Formats: sequence, structure tokens, C-alpha cells
Amino acid sequence: MDRRSLLKGMAGAGALAASGGLSAPALAQGAAARTLRFVPQANLANFDPIWGTQYVVRNAAALVWDTLYGVDDTLTPRRQMVESETVSDDGLTWTFRLREGLRFHDGEPVRAQDVVASLARWSARDPMGLMLRALQNELAPVDDRSFRWVLKKPFPKMLLALAKNNAPCSFIMPERIARTDPFKQITEYVGSGPMRFARDEWVPGARAVFTKFADYAPRQEPASWLAGGKRMLVDRIEWIVMPDPASASAALQNGEIDWWENPISDLVPLLKKNRNLSVDIADPLGNIGSFRMNTLYPPFDNPKVRRAVLMAMSQEDYMRAIVGDDDALWKPLPGYFTPGTPLYNEEGGEVFTPGGNLAAAKRLLAESGYKGEPVTCIVAQDQPITKAQGDVTADLLKRLGMTVDFVATDWGTTGSRRASKAAPKDGGWNMFHTWHAGADCLNPAPYTAIRANGEKAWFGWPDSPPVEEAIGAWFEATTPDQEKAAMRRLNKAALDYVVYAPTGFFLGYQAWRKAVSGIVKGPLPFFWGVSKSA
Amino acid sequence: MLAYAGRRVLATIPVMAVVALFVFSLLYIAPGDPAAIIAGDQATPDDIARIRATLGLDRPFLVRFGEWSWRILQGDLGTSIFTALPVTALIRQRIEPTLSLMVVTLILSVGVAVPLGVAAAWKAGTLVDRLVMTLAVLGFSVPVFVISYLLAYVFALELEWLPVQGYTPIASGLWPWFRNLILPSIALGSVYVALIARITRATMLEVLAQDYIKTAAAKGVGSRGLLFVHALKNAAVPIVTVIGLGIALLIGGAVVTESVFVIPGLGRLTVDAILRRDYPVIQGVVLLFSFCYVLVNLGIDLTYMLLDPRIRY
Amino acid sequence: MSPPGAPDLAAAAAAPGIAVAAAPDLPDIFPPVVRRRGLRGVVARHPAAAIGVAILLLMLLAALLAPVLFTVDPTALAPSRRTRLPSAQYWFGTDMLGRDIYSRVIYGARVSLVVGFSVAALASAIGLAIGLVSGFVRVLDGIVMRVMDGLMSIPPILLAVALMALTRGSVGNVVAAITIAEIPRVARLVRGVVLSLREQPYVDGAVASGSTVPAIIWRHILPNTLAPLSVQATYICASAMITEAILSFIGAGTPPTTPSWGNIMAEGRALWQVKPTIVFFPALFLSLTVLAVNLVGDGLRDALDPRMAKRL
Repeated sequence: MDRRSLLKGMAGAGALAASGGLSAPALAQGAAARTLRFVPQANLANFDPIWGTQYVVRNAAALVWDTLYGVDDTLTPRRQMVESETVSDDGLTWTFRLREGLRFHDGEPVRAQDVVASLARWSARDPMGLMLRALQNELAPVDDRSFRWVLKKPFPKMLLALAKNNAPCSFIMPERIARTDPFKQITEYVGSGPMRFARDEWVPGARAVFTKFADYAPRQEPASWLAGGKRMLVDRIEWIVMPDPASASAALQNGEIDWWENPISDLVPLLKKNRNLSVDIADPLGNIGSFRMNTLYPPFDNPKVRRAVLMAMSQEDYMRAIVGDDDALWKPLPGYFTPGTPLYNEEGGEVFTPGGNLAAAKRLLAESGYKGEPVTCIVAQDQPITKAQGDVTADLLKRLGMTVDFVATDWGTTGSRRASKAAPKDGGWNMFHTWHAGADCLNPAPYTAIRANGEKAWFGWPDSPPVEEAIGAWFEATTPDQEKAAMRRLNKAALDYVVYAPTGFFLGYQAWRKAVSGIVKGPLPFFWGVSKSA
Repeated sequence: MLAYAGRRVLATIPVMAVVALFVFSLLYIAPGDPAAIIAGDQATPDDIARIRATLGLDRPFLVRFGEWSWRILQGDLGTSIFTALPVTALIRQRIEPTLSLMVVTLILSVGVAVPLGVAAAWKAGTLVDRLVMTLAVLGFSVPVFVISYLLAYVFALELEWLPVQGYTPIASGLWPWFRNLILPSIALGSVYVALIARITRATMLEVLAQDYIKTAAAKGVGSRGLLFVHALKNAAVPIVTVIGLGIALLIGGAVVTESVFVIPGLGRLTVDAILRRDYPVIQGVVLLFSFCYVLVNLGIDLTYMLLDPRIRY
Repeated sequence: MSPPGAPDLAAAAAAPGIAVAAAPDLPDIFPPVVRRRGLRGVVARHPAAAIGVAILLLMLLAALLAPVLFTVDPTALAPSRRTRLPSAQYWFGTDMLGRDIYSRVIYGARVSLVVGFSVAALASAIGLAIGLVSGFVRVLDGIVMRVMDGLMSIPPILLAVALMALTRGSVGNVVAAITIAEIPRVARLVRGVVLSLREQPYVDGAVASGSTVPAIIWRHILPNTLAPLSVQATYICASAMITEAILSFIGAGTPPTTPSWGNIMAEGRALWQVKPTIVFFPALFLSLTVLAVNLVGDGLRDALDPRMAKRL
């Protein structure tokens, strides 16, 4: 055990404990330095990355399971488990060949049969997977190391589908596990990635532990996001769940944890003051704040009412409520796509004005024939982002002259209630708040929230043929210019219809002890290449 | 006497049955839908409906209650919806920290509170008495999370004497284990200390006023200190009773304390499960807590019977 | 056995052994007469209680007069002036959404007092009714008490949190949830009093002389129940205020659109290291108010229970 920390504790001496001896006293000094203690954004409550699509599950799964392809930091799909692929001239037959020497955590080699079973399970749950499935003629192994995917129609986004970082990712599992019903959880966690999942040490709601898989065969290229050589420089990664930001902040300052995924921005100045800590933007792709209006019921069945709300909004209010006083952390977002990425555009964005145009909004609301119907506004209180947005919205609607029925609840209840198509007074809803990772809003492929195909659309069930037409055009686009043109049409159509209300674009921080190096910015925490000095 | 013990043990059965029925029916009418949460933020309504069906949440109340009770009797608390782990496994993982916190709090609190109460009774009406009683009232009045944050701020962040958060298993050594429990125990114990100190003082005063003690004192039997030892023995029953009843305070307080100090115990498991509507976990944990509470108090009652043959029922 | 307010203290102090789940009741000995004293005498003898009453009155006044106490709209957002420290303009500073904490704390007194008093009143009234029924209708006694024992063996905070998880947060639901958790204790207390009084010769006499049950309750039972009950009610009131704060703290309390001390603290708790004032002021007001109620309770107990008072 770390003698200094013992002395410190006993005598109350002010010496700073240099290592992790505090929480891992049974380990030798060197072992403590090879254990990385990480505070994730949320609790790892279940661990089936196909069945559950929460970001936290995806992030943990990326350690344990490898994928056929992975996106690098330019969001380009790169080969990962695949050695090579060929596609027939008509674009209908894809043949993939796996790298040599790939092994699962139980020591068994990775075979094409495992891959086929994994892809079959994944494609039953993933939006892009479902599209592939609809086009699929055959998905079958050719031999132990290669398999074939035969389609009815070309699918140009094939590699993106297999490389994307949006949940669910197409993680490769042993065949016997991948044969699990996609709507039931797997119960065995035999991975194909660089870290094993220490199931014995998993305490859902408190911690999850990953240990290095010695037989993992990394690629030779340098690591870049989900691509390249995933080389682990620590032996053990402990995820410690801390629902209370104040505790996490204190623990990081005290050296009880090494890396905190999502410090709230109000605490960042405090963390920056500490010489032992580094603080930086977590994900340059950021997040898009959102609230959705139910198009099935009054008053939001009327597009004019939806537009009036959009007009009245002050994105600045929303963003300050979420990120605090740091103006570097947010941008107004007159659209639906992640700023700074190729498809971003502001077509139709003039509906937003700085501070909102309350007078014009009130006129439009009057014109719409709004009769004071109550707006059942569901706000999850246990997520800082939804809570902050909900408070601002309640204030906004009140000023706009609408009647607000504010339903404070938790994220779980929001999750169930928003799925209800019943009338608001019968357990349905008019409005709820959420947010989307910027990485999910680069293009329409993984972006379920932008769809406007009525019954099949995401909660709120927007129904707008122009929106759907533009999305279809993007999928069929073969050149960047065609894609961009489709996306400009989409942005405008979605704002005109108000598929949902974007509240702005915001960045989050991550913070870590200076003893840790190799942390990169990205849409998820990447642990490969991260090391820790004693 | 044995007959009483038997009756006393049997009497716990209907109590537990009431708890079981109550806990089960409570959650049956819950508006939350675990399926929707499990499916994640990007799930479609179809996904949610299918997950709900696979979870068996669409079957009737009585069927589920019957099956549930039968399984409980066999020691099977079901499977957590969110983690797909058996509830008994989750409880096993979480029980050590909570048990440690409770035991340390119990020992610290009783160790502090009884002497304080005795001292207050001994010096009844003096400054010492007033001081102890003031502290006790404060202990009742300051919410546990305020005390928790105050302690963490002073002793962990400013003085850096103790860890801010976390739990070290007892297998890693007694001192590291205890170190992590000091602050949470003090925070959790504050109300408990107040309760025990007050009841100790009150009972001591009552016993001291009894005729036989007065007689003994008048006859000059032993020192004043010896009298107190006798009095304390006679005051033990109500004090121990309150200690037993106070377990419920500890359980309630642990929910908050475990959250503030990030202790992976049963209290946090319960709150997480309730917020997530993980029915089997909520049912299992609340049932377990109630069972422990009933068991502890049963144990206390039976102990009186053995220790103090004067008690007749 | 509710958290911090310790309602059981009164029960335990007055009748050791009461309220153990499924335990038989030890005889409850309450003096049949309440000693009357002049108000001034009580104040002089119980300065702590007098302080308690004074604080409580101040809080009541603040709650009633909130709009004229230099407050602004406690729910008005202004994200551009968030997390300000206390100043001449914002006496207690502002919170994460730029709302004025002073105004929120003053308005928050309403919630805490409403929750505290309503729970005390409701739990006492319902508990009294259940206790009386149980004490007089022997057929029902067994089953009613088993239900009460069952409820009582669920730790009250867990019970309240579980109940709150079922409904939407509102002051009414918070009151209901805490009340349900507190009822069994009152019912047990009242039943104990009824059972011990029934043994008394004068009650026996009244029964023999043909008095009706309501008459017996009115003339003999109620006067003797009110003393311990009112002490118990005070502790329930204190306990309910803290439970409300704890419920809000763990996210299952009053709706966030209503400023309550628990809500203000819950919202500020993430920032306690950088902006401790957000938590400090509501914590101070809550602690003071609970303290005041506890002092009043202690004073009541001492005044109403001569057995204890003698030694003070």
C-alpha cells in the first residue's frame, strides 16, 4: 500500500498522495499506476450494446468488442477486423476477408460464422442495419475467414454502416452469443476487443471493471478514434459511477479518480485552478439540445403554433442554462446538423433571431387560432441537460402566453411516456426535452430524430413528405454535391415543418489528472493509447 | 416463555406478508415503463412494445403476484430488468458496504450517545446537560445531506485528512476500510446519536427517580458512580429498544449518505432502481430491508426475554 | 421512526417498548390529567420552547407576507445573470438559472410549512381514527395492527420514495406519501392510550353506566390522547419537513416549478464547492425551522408530561 497516503490519513499530514494508493491499497505501487479510474457519464446498467443503445453502453462496449470497420477522427471508415473487401461492379455483392490472428477473449479464433451471426443480430436493431436487411439477399460465410453480403440494390453507405460510432455499433461477438434474440439481453460477455469485461467485479450502478486482453492483435496503424491499433497502456480500467457531480469533482481533486468524462461546466473553473488536473473539450462534435412537440394533438398539431414557439425561442437562454457562463462552449444552431461538419447548413434558419422574436411569435400564435389548450410539458429532472432546458421552456411558453402543464419526472418515465400516442390528458404528452450527440447528427443515416415519416418517425410522429424526400435523396446521392444539396433541402423542410426544436449546439468538458496522458477528443472516450505515470 | 417466543416469531409472518403485498401492488400501478428506458433514446415505439412483451410486463396482476411470492419463498428474488443479473446477486454485491456503514455507524453512535446521555443525566440541569441536549436537538434538525457536505468539505477537501468518497472492501485491510467509513458514519449517525442520547438521558432520570435507587442512595450504598452503573443496567431495555427501532432511521439515512459519499450499497441501489423502475430490484430490496428490520427487532425482543426474566408477557 | 424529526422519541420516551413491529404492547402509562399552567409561566419555564415559537412565527409571517418582503418573482429566469454571489441587489445571490435565491427561499417557507403542518395534521387525524377503531373494535384490531406493523417495517424514506415514484411530483403527493409513512406510528400510539385507558376504573364505570362509545371517546379518551398526540404531531411536523427536503434531494419531491427549500438545495448541490451560498441559505432556513418545531415539541412534551417535566 502507499505508505504516504497511510501516513497522511493517520497523522493528517498535508502531503499530497501521488498515486492511487487510496482506493487500491492492496495493489503494489506499480499496479496502481497501471489502473485507470474513470468516471463515466452514466451508470452502466446493462451491457448488451445491441439490445441497449444508451451512449454509456456503447462506450464500454467499444473497449470489449471490436468492429469490422471503425471511423477515424475524420469520420472516414477504416478497416479494423477486416483485412480487405471487394464489391462487385453492380454494387450488389460485397465480400469481406478477416485479418489473421483475431481471437475472442475465450481464446477461440474469430470466424466468419461469428461475424455473420453478429451482423444478423445487429441489423435487426440498427436503423442502417434495418435498411441493409431490407435490401439483403444473402449474408453468409464463404470460408472461415471470409463472408459475403448479397444485396438487391446497391447500398453505397455499407462501410459507414459497419464503421459508424452511433449506437448500436456492429460489434463482433462469438456466434453462440450473437444467436441471442436481439430483443433479449446477452448474458455472456466474451469480447473481441482489447479489454476483457470483468463480470465478477461489475456492480451495476456503482462500478464496472475492464482488464487487458493479452492476446488482442492490434492493427499496425496508429490509433485514431475507432480505427487503427488499439494498444492498451494500462492493465486495468475501473469505471466508477458518480451520479453527483460534486462528489466526482471532489474525488478528482483528491486523486481518488483519474479521469472524469463529463464535468459540469460550473465546476470547470475550480478544476482548472488545480495544478494536478487537465481540462479540455470532450467531443468537438458536441451535442444538439432539443425539445419535441407532439404533432398528433393540439396545439402542436398546428404547424403555425410550432413555428411560433421556434420564433420565440432564445437559444442563448437554453445554452446558458446548460453550459453556464462560458461562451466558448455554445453556438446558436439555426438548423439540425452538427456545425463544422460537411453537411452543416443554415438553410431556412432565419426563423431564429438572437433573443427570440416574442412579438412576431405572439402574432403568429394569435393567427394560428390557439385557444389556450394546456401544453403538457415533460421534463426529466435527473439529467442536467433536460432539466435546464425544461425550466427555460416553461418560462418561454409562459411569456408566449401559452398554458403550461409542467410534468417534472425522471428520465425513465419520460422514456415511457413519450412513446405514448394517447392524448396528453390520458397519459400522453405535448412536449419533451432531450439532446443528441453531434456525432449522431452528421447525416440522416443514424439520425432517427430527423425523420418525418409519420407513424414510423421518432416520438412526436412528425409527418412531412418534403423532409422524407430530402432524406431519400441523400441516401441515393453519389457525389458530395448531391449530398449537400439534399441536406440543404432537408434543413429547410425540417425547420418549416418543425420536426423538432433545436435549442442550440453545445460542447462538454472532460477532466483528468495530469498523471494521465494520451487522452484525445472524440465522440466517446478512447482508452487506447492512454497511459498513467505513478 | 417458549410459547411466547414462538408466538413472537410467528407474528412476524403476517407482517412480512403485508409488506410483500403492499410492495408488490405499489409497483404494479407505477406509470413508468421499463421497456422504454431499456430501449434507449433512439428506440422506436415498436422496439419498446416488443421489449415490453419479452419482459412479461403485460401479464395480469394476480398471476405475477402469485408467481413472485412463490419464487420469493424459494429464495429467488427475480432478475433485474436492467442488468439481467439476479436480484440476489445484486444484493450480494451491495450488501457489504451497507452492512459496514450500518455497523460502524451503530458502534460509533452508541459509543458516543450512551455516555453523552448518561453524562447529561448525571449532571442534569447543568451546562453539560444543556450542551448535550442542544447538540441532540441540532442533530434532529440539520438534514443529513447538509451534514454530509459540511464534513466532506472540511475533512476531505480542506484538511485532506480523509477520502471524499468511495468504499474499500474490508478484505483490503481494516484501516483502509475504516478510513472510508468515518465521514459517512458520522453524517449518518448524527440523528441516531441525538435519538439515543435523549432516550438514555430520559430513562436514566426515570430510573434514578425510582424508590429503590433513592433508598440505596439514602443508605449510602456505594459511590454515585456505582449507582449509575446500576441505573444504566435497569435503563438498558428502553435504550436497546430505541437502538433497534433506530435501524429504520439508519436505513433511510443510508439512501442519502450512500449517494453523497458514492458508496456502492443497497441504499443507492434502491434509489437507482426506483428512478429506473427496475421492479424486481425495488421489490427485493424493500422486502429485504423490511425483513432485516423486523428480524433485528425480533432479536432484540427475544434477547430481553433471555436476559431479563422479570419481563413477562 | 422517521428520519431526523424523530417522532418516535416522544413515543419511546413516554412508553418504552411501544411500536416494535409485531411486539405486544407494554402498558402505556399516561397521566390522566393535564396540568394547566399560565402562558407566561410556561414561557418562563421553557425559554427554549419560547424561542422555537418565536422562530416559527417569524417563518409563518415570512411565508404569508412573501410577496411584500422585497421579493421578486421566484421563478423568473435570467440565464445571463446566473450563479451570482450575494449582493445588494440579490441578497442571497442567484441560482443556476439566474433566479433570485432570496425570493425563492422566502417563498420556499410556504412549501415547508404546508408540508410540515399538513402531514402532522393528516397523519394525526387518520392515525387517531385508526387507533380509536383498533382500540375499540377488537374484531378489527388484529388485522389493522398487522397492516400497520407491515407498513411500519418499511423504512419511511424508502416508502415515501417508492410512493413518489408512482405519481408526479406535487406538494399534495409529497404530503400524501409522507403521511402514509407516518400514520402507523400515530395509530399505534393512540391504540396504546385507548387500551390503557380502558383498564382504568372510571372508564369501566362509564361503560357500566351505559355511556355510548362516542361519549366515552369524547369525554375520557380524547382529552387524554391529545397530550401525547400533540407532542407526536410536532415531531411528525419536523420530520416531514426534513423528509420533503430529502425527497427533493434525491429527485422525488415537490415539482421544480415550485420553489421549496429542498428543491433549491437539490439544484444547488452540484455547485456546493464553488457556490456554497445556493445550498447554504435554504439549508439554514430549513434547519432553523425544524429546530424551532423540535423545540416547541420538547416544550410541549415537558409541559404536558409532568413525569418528565419534574426533572427539568
